[in-house]
Order: sequence, then structure tokens, then C-alpha cells
Amino acid sequence: MTPEQIVEATLFASQTPLTPDELARADDDLTVASVREAIQALRDAYEQNGRSFQIYELGDGFQILTRPEFASYLERFDSVPRSPYLSGAALETLAIVAYRQPIGRIEIEEVRGVSASSVLRTLTDWELIDVVGRGEGLGRPLLYGTTQKFLDHFGLKDLDELPAPDELPIVLEGLQDVEPEPEAADEGAEVEASS
Amino acid sequence: MTVGTPARASSTPRGRSPLEGIEPFLVELERFQGPLDLLLHLIRSQDIDIFDIPIARITRQFQAAIAHGLDDMPLERAGEFLEMAASLIRIKAQLLLPRPEKLEWEGDPRAELVRRLLEYEHFQDVVHVLERAESQRGRHFAKGYVPDRPAPEGMRPDLEVSWRDLLEAAKRIPEPPPPVRIRPPSTAVTVEEKVSLLRGLFEKAKRIAFDRLFKPWGTRAHAAASLLAALEMAKRQVLRIEQAGPFAPIWLFLGSGAPEDEDGEPAAERDT
Repeated sequence: MTPEQIVEATLFASQTPLTPDELARADDDLTVASVREAIQALRDAYEQNGRSFQIYELGDGFQILTRPEFASYLERFDSVPRSPYLSGAALETLAIVAYRQPIGRIEIEEVRGVSASSVLRTLTDWELIDVVGRGEGLGRPLLYGTTQKFLDHFGLKDLDELPAPDELPIVLEGLQDVEPEPEAADEGAEVEASS
Repeated sequence: MTVGTPARASSTPRGRSPLEGIEPFLVELERFQGPLDLLLHLIRSQDIDIFDIPIARITRQFQAAIAHGLDDMPLERAGEFLEMAASLIRIKAQLLLPRPEKLEWEGDPRAELVRRLLEYEHFQDVVHVLERAESQRGRHFAKGYVPDRPAPEGMRPDLEVSWRDLLEAAKRIPEPPPPVRIRPPSTAVTVEEKVSLLRGLFEKAKRIAFDRLFKPWGTRAHAAASLLAALEMAKRQVLRIEQAGPFAPIWLFLGSGAPEDEDGEPAAERDT
């Protein structure tokens, strides 16, 4: 059996993303490096042969998913509950957590101008965010960060795939021209995707 | 604040015709995530320079916008809008105070608000990026997506009992009475007695929980007599006996016809 075949069989049989480490467990001769090579070889082969699926990198794992062109066919089978699209409030909160993590509830509420406790609870329940630590401030507030499932939900390999702040239409650094107060300048520097 | 609904209402339409002087500015408060969202909408939809917000006009419009929806809002959410209205008025008041000419932006009471608005708008852009990513990801399907073939009709055994059901039923079995408990021979329990008890109860209630019939006496003789009475009356079609599932509570109903409401109360009260 070739490493490609073993990796393919393992990915094929899995319903969740698998890390190279997990895939390497399938055979004693497999290493993380050879798994990565095999994945690349499989990807190329699928691409060349026009397969309806591809191996995608989601968070730190890999998974075989159908290609987007086939969505309209598969949606006819839409009887299984799929993970629902997130509400505006949930997306807003996730956006802030993704760019400013680790971040506490109070800071999120300061940006949004509205209470965030119930959204945070829901997002934690859905495992899109998780408590990653405790802050220094009064009462040692919980600090939140995004999870592997967050990356999976948005089809991201890592947080660097999100646009850097200066690639967004509104550039926070522009504020420095307007308001020379030190806090405002700091805000711009903080908006960086930290992984 | 609902999560999980497909409705996305936070977007801020831009580039609409300026609505100079037109007030009140009618908006649906529901559509907005919060006061910042509403404020940003007022500013952007009227092509207002965010660095030179006409606070008096915006404050009036903001107040008019929230005046309609505030009553239907949960208190916390209403408070968030009111807080913003209050700080707008404070900024307006501060603008009226004379201040040194040279300190242009540093002393501008609007600066902090502008910073928050721009920051909020920045995250709105991130929200759009995430929205796009989410819908693109939604077009990829993993193994196990296509549903299992449904089990053919009639393959489902009706009397399937799980260990949990069995355990629940076992827990309902009353504790055995203490072994040494001598009581004088009680008066004989007759089925007739139970029949008249049942008849009496049915004058007051439409349905009776079976175990209520003998619990007050707590002896097997009473339970047995009650059961015989109930069975006898069911045979004569005076009442009917129903049980929602194995080990579920047994209910007695007056009359012999079809159940009035199939999925009515008795089934709902199974767990009580």
C-alpha cells in the first residue's frame, strides 16, 4: 500500500478534519511529513482527474469535502439539519473575538455598544469560541478566543486567512491623523490577527 | 438578541441620496444590532462626513428613530439606545461651551464617538468577510451529509424498551413495607367498593391516574381490587384504560369511545 492510498482511505472514512499527526497513526511507516506529501499528491491527482471532491485544510486538520460546484445537487438532499448561518450579532461578536483575542466580555461590549453575554454563551455552546484564559483586571474576567471549529465553520486554514486590518476598506490607522490621543493610536495597532 | 437566524440586518446601506433636513428619519429599529449600528446608518445614508458630524441634527434623528421602537424592546436593549441618546446630548452640550480656538480635534467632544463609530464600521467589514466565508464554506459537503435511507415501515418494533425505561419503571415500584408490622386484619376489600369509588371519582374528574386509587391504603388487596374493578368497568365499557407506553402511568377515562384528543394531556403527563 502506498502512503497516498493509506491517507486517502483514512480521510475517506472520516467525518471530521484529521490532523497530519492523527493521519500518521494509520501506519507505522507514516510520518507527519510523508502524510503532508501524500495529501499534496492526492490533491494534485484529484485536480487533474476532475474529481467532485478535494482535500481541504480546515484549522489544523484535513478533510475530504465536495467541491462547491456540486452544492446545488447536494442541496436537494437538504433534510439533515446543517449548522445554521450565524446571526448578525453572532458574526459581529466573532469578528471582534477573531481580531482581538484573547478578549473579555466588557471589551467586546465596548466595541459593539450592546450587551454580549448571551451571544458569548451561544457561541461558546457552539464551540466557535472558548475561554482561553483570565484577564488581569477586577474579578479576573474570562477571556475568549476562537476555536478550531471556528476555522472549520468559515472554511479557514488559520486566522491569517482573514484580511489584515489594512486590507479592509476602513483603515483604523487613519485615525491617528484625526485624533492624536495615545489610546486611539493603540487601537489601530491592536487590530491584528493574532493566532 | 437572536443567534442562528438567517436574517442579517446589520448592513449599512451607503450612498443613498442625502436627506438634508428631512425629519423624522423613519427606520425600523429591529434591523439594527444596537445604537452604534443605527448611528452609523444615519451618518452613512445621508453622506455625512463622519469627521464633522452635525450633532444636533443627528441627535434629533436618533431620538426620533428610537422613539417608535423603544416600548417594544427588552429593557436592556432599550437602555443601550437610551445611553447613546444621552451621550449624544452630552456631546451637543459640550459643543455649545466655548473652547480655545487652537485645540481643534483634541478638544472636540465628538472625537471619542467618531473613534467608536469607525472602529464599529471596521468590524462591520470583518462581518461581511466572515459572511462570505461562511456561505462559501456552506457549499462544501462532508461525508455523511446525504441522509441515511429511512427504515422501511413495519420494521420498527413497537415494544422496544430501553434500559432507562426499565430503570425508571423499577424506581416507581414502592418500597416493600417494613417486615415486622403486624396490623389487625383489615376489613375485607371488595371489588364492588372500588367500583363505587371509581364511579364517585368520575363524577368529579374526566380521568383518573390508576395508582391514585389504592395509594392511600397502600396494600396489595386494595391494588388488586382496584384493578379488578377497573377491568370489570372497562369490560362493561363504562371506562377505558390507557397507557402511553410500557411502564408508563396508567390512566382511566370515562366512557368507551375513541380518545377525545389523541395526543392530549395524559401523554403529556407521562413524566409527572
